[in-house]
Amino acid sequence: MKKTMKTASLIMAAVLTAMSLAACGGKAASEKTESSAAETAKTETTAAETAKEGDTQAAADTKAGGFKVAMVLDSSVSDGGWGASCYQAMVNAAKDSGWETVYTDNVATADYATVMTDYAELGYNLIFAPGNQYTDAVKQVAEEYPEINFALLNGTVETENITSILPDAKQIGYMAGALAGLMSKTNNIGFIGGMELDTTKAKLECYEKAAKKVNPDIKVSSAYAGSFSDTAKGKEIASSMVSTYDVDVMFGDASAVDTGAREALSGLEGRYDIGQPGDLGSADDKIIICSVVTDNAALLKACMKDVEADTFGGQTIYGDLGNGCLSIGTFSNAVPEDIQTQYKEIVGQIQAGTFIQ
Amino acid sequence: MKQKENLMKVIVPVLSILVAFIIGGIIIICLGKNPFQAYGFLFSGAFGSSRKIAQTLVIACPLIFTGLTAAFSYKCGVFNLGGEGQFVMGAVASIFFVTKSGIEGLAGILLSLLIGAAAGALWGAIPGILKITRGLNEMIVSIMLNYAATLFMGYVYTTLLRDGSVPQTFAIPASTKLSVISKSFPVHWGVWIALFLAFAGYYFLFYTSKGFKLRAVGLNSTAAFFNGFPVNRYVLFSFIASGAVAGLGGSVELHGKQLRLMSGFGQGFGFDGVAIALIAQLNPIGTAAVAFIFAILRKGASTLQTGMQIPTAVVDIIQALVIIFAVAGTALLKLPAIRQYINSHMGKKEVTN
Amino acid sequence: MDAFLNMNFLTELLLSTIRMATPILFVALAETYSERAGLVNIGLDGIMSFGALIGFLIGYRSGSPMVGILAGALSGIAINMIYAFCTIRLCAPQIVYGMAINIFAPALASFIYRLSFSDTSTLIQGVSMKALPIPVLSRIPFLGPLFFNHIPLVYAAYLLVPVTTVFFSRTKAGLNFKAVGEFPKAAETLGINVVLQKYLACVICGALAGIGGAYLTICYTSTYSEGIVAGRGFIALSAVIFGRWMPSGVLLACLLFGFCDALQIRLQLLSPSTPYQLLQMIPYLCTLFVLAFFGIRKSGPKANGQPYYREER
Repeated sequence: MKKTMKTASLIMAAVLTAMSLAACGGKAASEKTESSAAETAKTETTAAETAKEGDTQAAADTKAGGFKVAMVLDSSVSDGGWGASCYQAMVNAAKDSGWETVYTDNVATADYATVMTDYAELGYNLIFAPGNQYTDAVKQVAEEYPEINFALLNGTVETENITSILPDAKQIGYMAGALAGLMSKTNNIGFIGGMELDTTKAKLECYEKAAKKVNPDIKVSSAYAGSFSDTAKGKEIASSMVSTYDVDVMFGDASAVDTGAREALSGLEGRYDIGQPGDLGSADDKIIICSVVTDNAALLKACMKDVEADTFGGQTIYGDLGNGCLSIGTFSNAVPEDIQTQYKEIVGQIQAGTFIQ
Repeated sequence: MKQKENLMKVIVPVLSILVAFIIGGIIIICLGKNPFQAYGFLFSGAFGSSRKIAQTLVIACPLIFTGLTAAFSYKCGVFNLGGEGQFVMGAVASIFFVTKSGIEGLAGILLSLLIGAAAGALWGAIPGILKITRGLNEMIVSIMLNYAATLFMGYVYTTLLRDGSVPQTFAIPASTKLSVISKSFPVHWGVWIALFLAFAGYYFLFYTSKGFKLRAVGLNSTAAFFNGFPVNRYVLFSFIASGAVAGLGGSVELHGKQLRLMSGFGQGFGFDGVAIALIAQLNPIGTAAVAFIFAILRKGASTLQTGMQIPTAVVDIIQALVIIFAVAGTALLKLPAIRQYINSHMGKKEVTN
Repeated sequence: MDAFLNMNFLTELLLSTIRMATPILFVALAETYSERAGLVNIGLDGIMSFGALIGFLIGYRSGSPMVGILAGALSGIAINMIYAFCTIRLCAPQIVYGMAINIFAPALASFIYRLSFSDTSTLIQGVSMKALPIPVLSRIPFLGPLFFNHIPLVYAAYLLVPVTTVFFSRTKAGLNFKAVGEFPKAAETLGINVVLQKYLACVICGALAGIGGAYLTICYTSTYSEGIVAGRGFIALSAVIFGRWMPSGVLLACLLFGFCDALQIRLQLLSPSTPYQLLQMIPYLCTLFVLAFFGIRKSGPKANGQPYYREER
């Protein structure tokens, strides 16, 4: 009887050790590629990246001077869309300003405040909340920690320690809509939203307006995925848009869902997507014809300057075509020269405010 | 003998938590970080100051409710996996009430909590009724209802009660916020409701004849049926009661912590509750204790991530290992062979004593 | 609204149904094997997410979708062995270990993903499986693209249905297998090794659920994101009960679910003004109504969910 128990517990111990070893083994295997990747990253310099590599130390000498920024994100930093662009923006801005960066991603809405409180407790100089949906949590934590600064992307709050960063959603919508209208041959274009955020709704509205302005016959199909991460759903929505409505140009505001949509378009002739917020395309990209680029890094850098100069807070930093924070990305070869020139002209009008009153 | 058995019931979970932490430590070493420093962060995050202890208690609160939901229904032999849906529907009903009725202050709170509990009970009654009348498996019905409830809540916060630009509902009126014990120890009163329910549940299940009958139905419904127990009525009752507990929990979470509904409200609480109840071996007081341990891990996970950039996944792994070991340990004790061994071994000891 | 009557619309709807039902079908069949041996495994979501990650990772590293799928299957088996050991050998409650796997496996997956692609903010594109049109048959109008122009894994999923049916009703091995879930003690006296059969069930279950997960990251999309499983394991679980533990019934349940989901997405496009959450409820409510309408008179395997103490014989 004693034996039974011993064997049982031995087996159990063995299984679990093996499992934990497997987890570690998986790590060891991948560590090589990882460290070589880290090596290349280091040669490109970046105070930010190196800080990330040795964050044990970062945690240890929190008080060792130097400025630090933390980012809270509801999606993943590798979602190939919104999260990735915002993360990249923070890293780039930090690199130029010599700041350290950390992030927490995949945070549930109900936990935003908890995570921000933790960063505030650790004395981070700036907490970057990349989206309108963080407003409540930012307000709450900012009130409790008046010495910590908060940058709220797409926000509309201005207090002593909150600065809002507001890229012009209308202009983004106009830019995408105009290009979609010019490029569509079937007169049907699509839009996929993640959640019904106000900025998303504004983008959709302006997208439709602009497309109709350049091509009055345009019809817009739109759908919300109800998620920023369900790639499969994005793929399904996009392919049903193509099959049901013959949509041939798409624009999305839904992070990883957009990636799924682009996947549905790959392999189809003459179906295109417009990227955002980074410059996602290239000259020979088959799907992304162009991107509406938001330079969040520049906006964040402005925040960092303010923190360094101790003048942070109480303002909204707008990002639009006028101050160069919005721009046209790389065109792919699928966009003919004449449309490119025509489009650039329209973007000029959007900037001047004469395109749609 | 009985005492020794009870002792084992405490030793096994404690030991399994220890082992889980050791394995977690190994993983942290693999990450190239110092496990002692990491656990230091974890515990200082949960206990570092009276504020942090309070935050940990607030995190534990909904878990106690959903844990009790699971414990209560499983004691009666029905697998109510719908804690999350009932929790959410309780909160939804409450937010409707407090934002639409205009009743404020203490009366508003009490009525709202009551309505939340009623909504949870109703939502919980659906799988019960379908089980009794149509023979449907309560597990799938309650899981489907979880999805339906979460989506309905989505409809509420994006459309029906939407507050401005972000998809979230209006906040509850300030006067209906559950007050906190003190500024330096900001625990809202909902935690006391949860603890009270845990003790009341324990008393009901183990010290009343109704509770005894309910457990009898759970142990062997056929035998209970032939003993003349109205089995169906007990089954339905346990669905309704457990649903009410979950609904009350949702309402408390709304009034005490979140103050409005938004995406992610209640997410995962239902299943965490199931795990908690099962680790606690369906003992209501044990459920409250295990919920507190889960809360420490949750609170600590966030500090660990922000402080040392250790992925929260590591703490999730530790949490799962706690479940795996704790329940395996208990099961091990129940194996006939092991039981015999312990009995004879303990018996000897008693003689020498 | 004329879009509804469009032939193209119908084909696409049905195609999409098949695409959406396939991963659920794999996992539901996995659960069928498990429950037929008396093991209720609610950890399907967890196994899927682990299979999805490992399948993606190995597929990406090796460049071969087939290797990825195989890795997904193996990883599913590995994870399910925790469940197997604890529920079969230790006779621990099955629901708990299902739950534990649902917490453990996704956490492990996200941990491994982080280690493998630490701090890259670009989305990793993995491999994807190419469609394999069946010669001649795929040319048939309407039916051709619907049934004979898929990736190999889709054929495999649907072939598994008759195979499983025949296995359970026509072969001795299958009958033995079922006996374990119905009357384990009687089975033991007939010389069937109950414990071994149960382990076997767990191996099959883990493999199929792992494949179902890998399907998501190799066939459905070619990227991995956390939360990609999105509750499909629980849907599969209900499909088994819905299908009354019979492969054909399970198939029907999966198709119904896939159809509702495919329809739901199209309805969103047709009437953008309807709140999308209400449309997304359709698959769940539909399942509930169908279930409530038919009821379940015949319940599952008799010893389903109960521990089997060999010593008690």
